[in-house]
Amino acid sequence: MAIDVLNPTPPDFKRVAGMDQVPPHVPAELVHSAGITFGPEFLAAPHAYMAAMHEKFPPLYYDVSPFGNAWLAIKHEDALKVLRNAEVFSNEGATPFPRDPDDYFYFIPQEIDPPQHRKYRNIVDPMFSPQGVLKLEATMRELANELIDEIITKGECEFTTAFGRPFPVTIFLRLMGLPVEMTDTFVDWAVSLLHSNDRAIMAETMTKISAYLKSAIEEKKRQPDEGVVSRIVHAQIDGRPMHDKEIFGFVIFLFIGGLDTVFATLNNIWLWLANNPDRRREMIADPGNINAQVEELLRVHSVTFSGRTIVKDHEMRGVQLKAGDKITCILPACNFDPDVFPNPTVVDFHRPKQIILAFTVGVHSCMGAHLARLETKVAIQEWLKRIPDFAIKPGAEIVYRPGGVVGPHHLPLVW
Amino acid sequence: MGKVTYVAVDGTRHTIELADGENVMRGALYNEIDGIIGECGGGLACATCHCYVDETWADRLGQPATREESELLEAASAPRRPTSRLSCQIVMAPEFDGLVVHLPETQY
Repeated sequence: MAIDVLNPTPPDFKRVAGMDQVPPHVPAELVHSAGITFGPEFLAAPHAYMAAMHEKFPPLYYDVSPFGNAWLAIKHEDALKVLRNAEVFSNEGATPFPRDPDDYFYFIPQEIDPPQHRKYRNIVDPMFSPQGVLKLEATMRELANELIDEIITKGECEFTTAFGRPFPVTIFLRLMGLPVEMTDTFVDWAVSLLHSNDRAIMAETMTKISAYLKSAIEEKKRQPDEGVVSRIVHAQIDGRPMHDKEIFGFVIFLFIGGLDTVFATLNNIWLWLANNPDRRREMIADPGNINAQVEELLRVHSVTFSGRTIVKDHEMRGVQLKAGDKITCILPACNFDPDVFPNPTVVDFHRPKQIILAFTVGVHSCMGAHLARLETKVAIQEWLKRIPDFAIKPGAEIVYRPGGVVGPHHLPLVW
Repeated sequence: MGKVTYVAVDGTRHTIELADGENVMRGALYNEIDGIIGECGGGLACATCHCYVDETWADRLGQPATREESELLEAASAPRRPTSRLSCQIVMAPEFDGLVVHLPETQY
C-alpha cells in the first residue's frame, strides 16, 4: 500500500507474538526461538552467538519471540535481496517504536519508499556524505583529546560513560544544532526507547522525546542556524515547504538513530581492543591501513537489525513468505556468513573489500554511515596514540544490554 | 562546473551540469536519473553506482582509482567491463567537462 506522506495513518498490520500465533503457512520444522536481544545465551556473548547461528539454525527460519514473531534472514545474500526489494519487503510498519495513533507520523525517510524517499535524502545527504562529514574531522579530533585529557592520568575509566557515550553524542548534537548540555537526558531517552523491551516505557519515552523535539523545531523556525534540524525545518520538497508532520518525522528519526548506535559500536570495539593486545599493536604498526581496520571492526561488531513487512507473497529459499509476515535481517549474523567472509570470526584487516551490512544496504542504507566510520576511525587513532596499552579492569564482569542495539552495559578499563 | 551525460541501456541520454568537486554518482541522484542507486552514499562500500565510462574517455577515466574500487567492482551486479567504474569515485573537474558514462542494466 502506498502511503500518503501528508496524511499519516497507522498501518493495519497485526502484531504477532508467541508460539500460539505462528501462522498456518509456516512449516513446523522452520519454527525456532533464538532469543535474540534478550535470551541468556545471546546476552552472554551476542556476536559469538550470532556468528554461530549459521551452524544452529536454518538459513531462513521463523523466529518466535514474546516481542514479535518474524522470519529471520541470516545469510548475506538474502539480506541483500530483502533490503533491496521494497516492492515485497516494505518499510511500512517495520519500525518498532510506538506512536500515538491519533497523532500518527512517519519516520522519514525510513518509512518512505522511492521515488519520494530520494527527495528527503537529498536534503541531508550533502551533510552526511563522505566529503560533508570531513568538515567535522578537526573538531572530532579535538573532542577526542579533551575526553582523553580528563581520564589519562587516572589510569582507569568506565569507557562507556567517559568516552563511548560523550564522543559520538556530542558530535551528533553539535551537527544537529541541539544543546550538548542535554546529552545525558537525550541518552537516557534513547536507552529507555531502545533497551527497555517494555512497550509502556517505550511509549512514555516517545511522548517525552516528541514534546522536546516539537519545541526545538519551533525554535529553529524562529531562529535558523546551520544545524541539521534547522536545515530540515527550512527545506523545500517538490517546491513547497515541508509540513509539520514531515519535519517532525524526519527530525525524530535522526534523533533516535544518532544517539545509540556509534555509542554501542565503540563500546564493542574497545572491549575487543582491550582483549586483543597483539591485534592492537598490529593496528598501531600499520596506520596506513586504518580504513580497512575500521571496516573490518565494523563487520564483526555490527550493532543492529533491519526489519521489513512482507507486503506480497514471496518465495525465498523454497520458503513461502506471506503478505503480513515480518522479516528481520540479523545484520551481525549476515556479516559472519562464511560464504562471503571465509573464517568469519577471524578479524582480518586484509580481507578483499566486500559489502558489509553494518549499515544495511538498499535505498534505506544508513545515512549516518560515513559519520559513523569517521568517528570510529578518529576515536581509534586518537585513543591508541595516547593510550596504546589498556585492559579490562580485573574482576569486571561484562554484561550486555538487551534490546535492538547490541553492546556492553559497562566497560571498566585500566592502563 | 562541467557537463556529464548519462546514457541509459535503452540509449536515452540525460545531460546535467555538475559542480567541480561533486561526483558523478551524486549528479545522477540530484537530478533523479534512474540507473544509479548509490546506496552507500559514496563511501566505497557498495557497488550500486556502477557505470561504464565511454570509450572516448577511457584513457583518462577508464581505470579504477584505487584497489578498493577495483575489488568492489567485482561485487557489481552487471558484468564488469574494461571501463567499469564506480561513479562515486569520478569527481568533476574542469578537464572532465563533457564526460559521457553508460549505465548498466542493473545495479542489484
